[in-house]
Formats: sequence, C-alpha cells, structure tokens
Amino acid sequence: MSRTTRTGALAAALAISLALAGCAGPGTRSSGGSQLDIATLSFPQSLDPAHAVGSALPFFQATYDTLVKREPDGEFSPMLATGWTYNDDATELTLTLREDVEFADGTAFDAAAVKANMEHFKKGGGADAKWLNDLETVEVVDPTHVILRLKQANPAMLFYLSDAAGLMANPAKFAKADSLRTTPDGTGPYRLVKARTTIGTKWVYERNKDYWGEKLPYENLTISFFDNETAIVNGIRTGQVNAALLQNADQQISIEADPRVKTTEQEFDFQGLLLFDRAGRLTPALKDPRVRQALNLAIDRGTMLSTIRQKRGKATSQVFGPGTQGYDPELDTYYSHDPARAKSLLKAAGHPKGFTLKLPRIAAIVNDALAASLATDFKAIGVDLVWDDLDGGSAVQKVFTDRAYSGMVMNMGQSSSDWVVVNELVTPGAFNMFGTTDATVRKLIPQIQTGTGAEAEQAAKALNAHLVQEGWFVPFYRMSYLHVSDGTVEITPQSGMAVPSIYNYAPAS
Amino acid sequence: MLKFIARRIAAGAVLLVVISFLSYLLLSVPDADVGRQLLGQGADQAAVDAKNASLGLDRPVLTQYADWLAHAVRGDLGTSWFTSEDVGTAVAGRLPVTASLTLGVTLVTTVVSFLLGVWAGVRRGAADRFVQVLGVIGYALPGFLVTLVIVLVFAVNLNWFPAIGYTAFTESPGGWLSTITLPVLSLAVASVAGVSQQVRGAVVDVLRQDYVRTLRARGLPTSRIVFRHVLRNASAPALSVLGMQFVGLLGGAVLVEQIFGLPGIGSMTVTYTTRGDIPVIMALVMFTVIGVVLINLLVDTMIGWLNPKARAA
Amino acid sequence: MSENLPAAVPTGPRPSAPAPGTSTARPAPPADGSLRRLLRNPLGAVSAGVLLLLVVAVVLAPLLAPQAPDVSSLGDAFAAPDGAHPMGMDSAGRDILSRILYGGRSTLGGAVVALAIALALGVPSGLYAGYYGGRFDSVANWAVNLVMALPAMVVLLASRAILGPDVLVLMIVLGVLVAPGFFRLVRGIVANVRKELYVDAAKVSGLSDTRIVARHILIVVRGPLIIQVALVAGIAIGLQAGLEFLGVGSGSAATWGAMLNEAFQNIQRAPLLILWPGLALGLTNGSLVLLAGALRDVLEDRGGEPAGRRRGRPRTRTASPAPEVLDRPSEAAALLSVRGLTVAYDRPDGTGREVVHGIDLDVHPGEIVGLVGESGSGKTQTAFSVLGILPEGGRIGSGSIMIEGQETVGLPERAHRALRGGTVAYVPQEPMSNLDPAFTVGSQLMEPMRHVLGISRKEAAVRALDLLRLVEIPDPGRTMRLYPHEISGGMAQRVLIAGAMSCDPRLLIADEPTTALDVRVQAEILGLLRRLQQDRGLGVLLVTHDLGVVADLCDRVAVMSDGRIVETGTTDRILRSPQDPCTRALLGAVLDEAPAREPWQPREARKTTA
Repeated sequence: MSRTTRTGALAAALAISLALAGCAGPGTRSSGGSQLDIATLSFPQSLDPAHAVGSALPFFQATYDTLVKREPDGEFSPMLATGWTYNDDATELTLTLREDVEFADGTAFDAAAVKANMEHFKKGGGADAKWLNDLETVEVVDPTHVILRLKQANPAMLFYLSDAAGLMANPAKFAKADSLRTTPDGTGPYRLVKARTTIGTKWVYERNKDYWGEKLPYENLTISFFDNETAIVNGIRTGQVNAALLQNADQQISIEADPRVKTTEQEFDFQGLLLFDRAGRLTPALKDPRVRQALNLAIDRGTMLSTIRQKRGKATSQVFGPGTQGYDPELDTYYSHDPARAKSLLKAAGHPKGFTLKLPRIAAIVNDALAASLATDFKAIGVDLVWDDLDGGSAVQKVFTDRAYSGMVMNMGQSSSDWVVVNELVTPGAFNMFGTTDATVRKLIPQIQTGTGAEAEQAAKALNAHLVQEGWFVPFYRMSYLHVSDGTVEITPQSGMAVPSIYNYAPAS
Repeated sequence: MLKFIARRIAAGAVLLVVISFLSYLLLSVPDADVGRQLLGQGADQAAVDAKNASLGLDRPVLTQYADWLAHAVRGDLGTSWFTSEDVGTAVAGRLPVTASLTLGVTLVTTVVSFLLGVWAGVRRGAADRFVQVLGVIGYALPGFLVTLVIVLVFAVNLNWFPAIGYTAFTESPGGWLSTITLPVLSLAVASVAGVSQQVRGAVVDVLRQDYVRTLRARGLPTSRIVFRHVLRNASAPALSVLGMQFVGLLGGAVLVEQIFGLPGIGSMTVTYTTRGDIPVIMALVMFTVIGVVLINLLVDTMIGWLNPKARAA
Repeated sequence: MSENLPAAVPTGPRPSAPAPGTSTARPAPPADGSLRRLLRNPLGAVSAGVLLLLVVAVVLAPLLAPQAPDVSSLGDAFAAPDGAHPMGMDSAGRDILSRILYGGRSTLGGAVVALAIALALGVPSGLYAGYYGGRFDSVANWAVNLVMALPAMVVLLASRAILGPDVLVLMIVLGVLVAPGFFRLVRGIVANVRKELYVDAAKVSGLSDTRIVARHILIVVRGPLIIQVALVAGIAIGLQAGLEFLGVGSGSAATWGAMLNEAFQNIQRAPLLILWPGLALGLTNGSLVLLAGALRDVLEDRGGEPAGRRRGRPRTRTASPAPEVLDRPSEAAALLSVRGLTVAYDRPDGTGREVVHGIDLDVHPGEIVGLVGESGSGKTQTAFSVLGILPEGGRIGSGSIMIEGQETVGLPERAHRALRGGTVAYVPQEPMSNLDPAFTVGSQLMEPMRHVLGISRKEAAVRALDLLRLVEIPDPGRTMRLYPHEISGGMAQRVLIAGAMSCDPRLLIADEPTTALDVRVQAEILGLLRRLQQDRGLGVLLVTHDLGVVADLCDRVAVMSDGRIVETGTTDRILRSPQDPCTRALLGAVLDEAPAREPWQPREARKTTA
C-alpha cells in the first residue's frame, strides 16, 4: 500500500492500543472491606508449617491457626488452645484444646492432631525446628487435652506455640509426602486460591466460610512478593498495594511525603557487629574484654544513625530489646563515642599498635556507607578492619559452616521473649558458634530458665548488663521500620514480629 | 533450506547438552550451602547437613548431574529447593512476562528505529544529526534513571498506567497492555537509540550503492527505492542486532522487572543463581539456550531470505 | 578493470546491541590521511577530544585527585561541593572527584582489557575461518554459538567464586563472552570478500595468503572492526555498571558502575549523586558512539566510491585552456543540448570544488556521440548531470541542459524524475554492482516499468521477456527467475541494457558500458547497442576512454580533459587529424601502431552470448 495509507494504519493501531490501555486503567484500587493487598520482601520456603519462620508468618496465619494467639502487645490469648498450665517445675505444659473445630475435609482438630503436628515440626527440618529441641514427648490425654513433656524448663514455649511451632495443619496430609508444601490445609480464616496463586510472586487467599473464629474484615487477601522497596513504594502510591513494611530509611522518608499515606513506626531489628570469636581463636586480641569494649567505644553510633538511618532508630549498646524483661534503658547509652579511651584500653590489653580484624561483608546488609564508616572508626583506634566481600550463597557457608570469621555485621530481630534472646545469642549455638561462656553467664541462665517471675526478671537484667559490660557484642542501633498503608488500611504493629499478624489489619475509619 | 534448518537444530541439541553439563559444573563451584540458607543462619550443623543430604548435595557433582540429566530428558525438571514449586511450572509461569516484554520491545524498536534510521539516512543533514544526537542521548542515559522517571511521571503522577504488577493477556488484554506499556517503553529507549544508528548506517551504505543510482536513473522515486530496495538490503545488519538484542532480553531485563515488580525471567535468574537453586537455574539455562538457538536460526534464515547472495555464504 | 573496489562490499552483520561504548584502545593509525579527515569532521574531533581528556584525567588520577578514593568520614556524607571537594561527597563521606578519577581507571582500564581479549580471540579466528572456511569454520561457529548461549550470570558467579570479585576478572570474562561478536563480524566480511576477483588476482600473482590477508582483507575489515571496537567497549562498561546493580560487582573497589549503583540506592535522598558518574559514563559512551559514527563515515567513504567518481586531485597544470575547436553541425533540433555546464562538489570545509568547468555538448536523434577523456576528466560527471543523478555532495553550478527542448537544470525532482526511463535512459559501467542482489533479474526489470508505464504485472512480465530476447539472452524465462549473482557479467550488462530500453527512451546515456567486460563480450555488447540504436533511432551519449569503441560506434566525438571539452568533431576527423594536444596524447597512447580503423561496418549478429 502507499506510504500515506501505511502511516495512517499505523496511527490508527496506535490509537486503539492506547485506548485499550486506558480502558483497563491503572491498578485497581481495592475498596476497603473486600480486598487487602499486602506487599512483602520475603516469602516462605514452602507452605508446610514445618518450614514456617517469623518473617513469613502471615502466609501461614492466613490458612493455619496457632495453638496460642499472640496479641499485638505480646499477651497470649486462646486460639486453638483455650487454656494452658504448667506443672511446678515447668517441665510439663498441659493444653486444653478447643472443641468442634474441623479441617476442610472433616478431619477433627484434636489432641492427636496436635501431637502429629508437633512431631512433624520437630523432625520437619525447618529453620525453627530447634525450638522444639526441649520437647520430649506429647501425651494425648483425651481429645481435648494434651500434655507437652519437656526435657527441661523452657520459658519461651508459649511464645513458640504462638508462633511457627504452634501452627496446626491437617495431620491426614502428613502422609502424602510434600502435599502441604504447595497446598496448605489448615483451620485458618482464609483458604489459598491455587488457581490465582503464583508461588514466588503472588499468593491469593479468599475467606474461609466455615471458619470457627472471629471473622476478619477482608473477604480476599493477596500477598505479593517484591525484591525491592522502590516497587512497593510506587505500588502504595498508586493504591495497587494497600499495606507494606518499609525498612529502608530513604524509602520511608519518601513515602511520608505523600499525604494520603498512613504510617506507623516500629522498632524490631537491631543492627550490630555480632562477635563470635570471644575466645580469640581466629583473632587473639578479641579474647580480652577490654579489646571488645574498645571496639564498642570506637564506634560513632550517633553519626551512623543520623547519616545511614536518617535518625530512624535509636542507638544502643544492648542486644535485649525494649519488649524484654532484661532491657534497661540506661544500657542504650552505656558506650559513648570515645576513641581516646578505646585506645588506652587497647594499650592496657597489650595491643598498643592495634590489630587486624577481618569481617565478611554482604552487600545487602553492609552498604558502602556502613562499611566505610566502620573501617574509618576502627582505624582511628588502630584496628585495621578488612572487609571480605562475599556473595549471598557462599557467605552463609563461609561464616557459619566454615566458621572463618570472628564476627559478622547483621540485622537481628529482637524477640519479646528473654529466653528466645538467650537461646539465640548466648547459649552455645549458631550465633555463639565457638561456644564461649563464663561463670556469670552459667550462673544466670538457669535462673532465667527456671526462676520465678521476679527472679527471672532480675537474672535477665543482670545477664544483659554483664553482656554489655563484657563487650560480648557491638550493637549499633535499633532500626525503626515503617508500616505503611495507602490510606485505606489501619495497621497495628505486632509484638515479637517485624511484620504485622494477619489479624492486625482493618479498614481505616 | 530444510536441511539447513535440520542441521542447525541438531547442532543446537548438542549445544544444549554441552551447556547443561558446563553450567552444572559451574553452578557447583561457589559454595552456596543451600541447606544453611534454607534453614537460616541460626540452625545447627546437623540439621544443615541433613538438609543438604536430602537435596542430594552430598554426592559428587557428576553423579548429581547425571541424575538431573536422567530426569530432564524425561521432562521432569525437578522442584525448586527454595520455593518447593515444580520447576517446569515455575519457569513456564514467568515466560509470558519475559516474552511479552521481549516481543514488545522488539516490535517497538523495529518500527521506530527503522523509521528514524531511514529518515536520517535518506534525508541526511539536520535529520541525520538529530537522530544521531538522539542515539547518543539514548546510550548515555543510565537505564535506571530512564525507568524511574518513566514510572514517576506516567504512573505515580499522571496515573495513566499502573506502577507495578503484571496482568496476563489471558486474564485481560487491556490490563496486559497497560501493565507492559511502561516497561516496554523503558527498555525501548536504549534499544531504539542503538538500532536506529545501525539502520541509519546501513541505509547510508545502501544508498551509495550503484544499483540505487541505476534504479533512480530508471525513474523510480526515492521513496519506493527506499522502502523496497534499501530496506531489503539494509535489514541484514539491523536484523543481526535485533537478534542479539532479543537474546539479551530473553535473559531478562532485571532492572525493569525489579522496579515494575514483574515476575519475569531476569530477576528469577539473578536471585536463584546467587542462592544456588540449581534445579531452577538449570531449567532457565536450558530455556535460554533453546531461545538463542532458535533466534539465531530465525535471524540467519531471514537474512538469507532477504539477501540471496548471503545464502551462499 | 576498475581500479576501485567493487562498491558492493557488504560489511557483514553489524555489531551488537546498544550500550554505551568506550574505547581507549587505539584504532589502527590509518596512514593515509583518514586520521586527518576524522579530525576535520566536527563530531569526530569533538568526541575524540573528549575521550582523550577523560583518558588523560583518569591516567593522572594520583596527581589530580584530592584524596584516595576510599577515604571516608561519615560525618561529611552528602556534603555539597566546596573548595576541597569540587564535586561534593557521597553517601559514605568519600570525595566524589577522587572516586571518579580512580574509578575511571578501573572502568576504562577494564574495558580495555575486555576489548583486548575479545579482539585477540575473535579477530584472528574470524580471519582464519572466513578465509579458509572448511572444518575450522564449522568448529569455530559452533564454539561461538556455545559461548553466546552460555548463561553469562552463571559464568560470572562461578568465576567470582574461584577468582574473587575483582574488576579485572569480571572484564576478562566479559571479554570472552563478547568475542563471538567480533568473530562473526570479521568472518562475515572476510567470507564475502574472499570471493571477490581481486583476491583471486592477488593469489594468482603469487602473494602468500598472509600477505593477502594483511594487505587486502584487513583493509576491508578494519573499518567495521574499529567501529565495533568503539561500540563494544561501551557495552563492556555498560555491562559492568549493570552488574553492580545485580550485586555481582566488584566489591568495594571504586568504579563508575558502583557509583551509579550507589546513586540509585540513594536516589530519594540525594538525587544529585547520579550527576557525576552519570556524566562520566554518558560522556564516554556518547563520545564513543559519535566517534564510531565519524570513523565509520571516514573509513567507509574510502571504500565506497564507485568507479568514475574519483574526485581528481586538483592538478597543478598551468597550461592555459586549449582553444576549443568546435564542429557545429546544422542546428537540427537537438535531443540533448548542454551549454556552459559547470559541476561542483562540496568540500568538507564547505567550499566547492569545480570538476566540470563549463562545457557545451549536443546530441541529435539518431546519432551516437562519444565523450572521451582520461579518468577524472569529468565525463561521468557530465553524464550524471544530464540524468540528474549526481551523487552526494555534487551539484550543477551553472549552465543549461535541455532535453527535447525542455530545460532540466533547476527542475524540481519530481519533474526531472518523469524524464528518466521514458525520455532519458542510462546504461551503467559495472554490471554486477548495478543490480540489486536481493531481487531477481525479472523483478528488477519489471518494477520500474510498472511504475513508469503504469502497466499491470502480467503486461510487465511479457514486456520483460521481450526485452530479454531483444538483448539476445538465450533463455529469458529462466533468466527472469535468476538472481544477479547467478548470472555472468556479460549477461548482466545485457539485462541492464534491456532495462534501459524498457520504457522506450529517446536519449541513451551509456557510461563506459563495456569497460568491465571481456573483450569478446565487449564486441557483442557494442554490436547490440548499435543495433538497438539504429532500430529505434536513439540518440546516444557514449562515455568512454576507449578510442577503439569510439572508432567502432561513434558518429561524433567530444574530447574532455580536466573538466573541459577541448575538441569536438566527427569521429573520422578527430581520429585522423586531432588538433588538440590532449587528443593527440590520447591517440598516441593507443598501442596499436596501425592507423585508426575504418568506421564500423554492420555485421551479422551472432546468436551466442557471453
């Protein structure tokens, strides 16, 4: 055809396609009450509760219930278990179970189900399986009563039952190898719509009409995964995403500029240098607590917080979070920025010329500013900090399996349960990989474990103080995260978790 | 012609096997410790070892590869270690996104760069300089800047298009179009800049040829010569470039996918490769190789069809 | 044989995709003035200058940078530019200028490494495979496909795991991954050129293969290769920047890509961070692209000039123009009437250079006028002017060209085009390069006919067959379906003549129609021309440097030298008693001692074709 006709056809085609695009319109803004779109930066390895971890808990909360419900403020309330009591030495936990709860296929939720689930969780090879290490047996008394027999007292057990370990799946599915991984089967308020779900991208849930419990405000729930916060921020601004958690300080500031957006702050993670090598096996200098104290004194937390986090957070010298009993506000400022004192401490410890400290660097956690600032701060007291750039996968191997480093800069969640903190950081384990301990620690731990309320609290406080004074770790600051909604949702932060529980969303008034 | 195609496909099959072997070897080099990644840093060593054993990672690499190959030829690509999804489904699910992007960008690039390149090559002078400057700007601008500006202006501020997400064509053609418009635009900017230069160069070359002068001497108008003869002869280099671009895009446009939240092959490749999720990566590699072989075949066939002399080569 | 390269040297598949290009690799210094021409091209000069500046600045980093690139003071993060830190500070409190300068070393130096490797791998193998073909070629092609299909991401991560996250390692791997592009480019060009006649000639004359490759083939390859280098250097840099985004970059080393990545991470907070690395990258890329374009224009110009278009260098002859000896026939209505024609070409600096200095010429219906002269005398320029198809940069300075009484100088293109084909037709010199290789002989015959005469496809096909028969091609039906590369030179010339006749022109301009053909074929073509001319009463302007052809065909002759007509007259008189020294010199150059032949006698046309 002639040139003019061809141009004309092209123009027409263009016009039509633009019109079509316009018709579809930008993202569908969900009308509050029927649809909730949550954006997330992490997703679970599978939908089998044995693989549940805290940051991905909402995925599981949608389709499974826990034995115990943890309220936003940290208090426990009944869910699938209506009552719980410990025996005297806290080695037996008796649960009273809710009656008349069934799974979708009619299988009853009962004590046998609880037993099957706990055993499944313990041997399931999940990340939190070790939580049930202290669980010896589960005894079925009758369909509504079950006794958890523990090897030793574990003050965090109720917390665990309100978290990953408490998720209850249909035991009939355990036999069908792996079916739960992609097809969850629980008693929860929603059901997964497999046809509209794409694992790894978008999980679509719809209301469970036969739910036994309190009806949640939203008919449909969608959780979408993103690998960067820019997309999430844009999604919030266009209303395609209703709720999300923003960790990055710049993103937080940027979205606050939008008047429609509602935000709530929460501190959950802290960032700091976790020292492993307190016995001085890799870096002999670290054996001396004075050296570790010097490291703490060398760091300019204030500048770091204001420059890197744009003041979103709070400088701290302790690893216990404000939700724990061991927390002491005074300890936040125990270590000031005092390079002179740090240098004299180093000298007194026999290292007048300093020493070399090699640390692994994962770009996602330690950005340029942090890496440069730590190097500079340490250099000022004579410690030569050498960063080893590691790629994601191999980093984990080198640090935890090969144990090649004296410490690592990490972001860690601060649980509201003291015992969880102790188990994670203090008792020999992954983060105390060389198993360092001392007399004070050995004395205090049992007190926290088995002591009465007041005893345990006192011991926790004492332990916390001891850890800080001995420079077990070099915490930087607690980081303030931001819960954002596009204005249509009210979000309530959840104690003990960085992300809100499913139950914490409601249409904004 | 058929023999040519058959031979290329056979060569491609051999290529597939060789690359699968090489890739498996290369993937096993970085110590990704999948078990520990899955269980988290806090897990104890015994559990990690058990996890790794359950994934078959304690066997020698050759055994692992042989096992993978045995399953793959039967069509079983395995399950993702990190998401438990069936690999075949997982990759296939992402293909439409990448395909939409790739085809969209290629289409836009072809049309726009040919128009620009021909205009510049025929008119020369100011038009030529304009297109060259455009090309320079297109190259010089960092990709992420272009993308961010596009999102900010058209999605967030003007609200003409969604800022994130992908709607399948089967779900809603209009929605599909609206979700891929901005990503395609972002990618096309650099792409058009490059290809239009190629086209312009080729057009200038062809216009200098003797036969163009002879055709003019026979009374054919320039426009006709351009659209029939020049395009035919100038297409070969442009096609090669387009082919290579297509292949590149097949690998996925990671940045665009990230910013727009598109579940495509690109971000999948990066994420899963750094993790070391071998089943998924192997499937992606296979898919890429097949894509490359087919695209090269297509481009060479088209070039041969366009220029019979090149067929002899 | 034309002394120029056949113009249709296809330059092979062009280099791959866009990406900002940098090259600090030194292009092979063209010893023949190309460098000078490049510098005269404004874009070329500017881009070369910018690149040079960047390279020098980067090389002198230790001298120019205020401090080391990784010295940081967090308290000064995001500081605005000041005396000590002219570009300000970045997110870690490091001096941006220092990081740009030192980072440039990694970035540009890395690109050089990548390029060096890609060239070292791709070019020799491409040359070998293209020249010798055979097994090496197949194996190499397969290997190239392998490298192209290898997942770059996997390779990069593996190499990082083994060799560490070094910029150098990255660039080496990149170089290997990019080498296939060079291979394909070089191989493609060489494979095409290998078939050209001049290569055979070189071989026959005893040149070793190495010599052939070095002398003749490398010259053809050099142009596209240099351009490819410029573009690929850009790709290397662009890829490096892109990899930083993906987190598989170079760790803490300062590179422009890392700086861009940092700017992206902080885009909300300090959007200006993108300015300096963006500018550095942008300038480098932009300059490379422009340099590539300028290089291309300069280098390709040399190879692309078709025969006869050689712009004669201004001769320093001081002899005064010889008096024109004109034999003006009676003023019967001239088919073609040229008066005072000047043709000039634009020089790069804007001034014009005249190549035809005011000539007068007439062609009457039914007569063949020869336009003779040495190469560079302006004969072809005159021919082109009559047709209105002067090449790029040429224009008619002054004068008049009347065709059938209609003035054509200054005529708008559309009107001029109306004359072509139907009134004036053209038979070119080099048959093979004047047929579009992508279309069949038949389609090329038919297409202009359909356009000019407005006839249907069927009619055009019938006419085409007739035309082919007219020019004595034995199997017209089969020939119609052949492609130009499937027919011989002689056949091609016949096809071109058929094409010229196709719309029944009244004036035929034949530009050295037999120069490119074998002697035997020459005679046949000349005979054909004469026959056609007689049958149709054509007026012919026959441009030639061959006096034998003149003697055979022409009724009258005009002798051109140095852009002027120095003598005109009947063939008989010019050949017997030339007046002008130039004419005499021409005649004197004829080797045959015997006097000029008698004018051509009609002869039985022979049926065979070349």
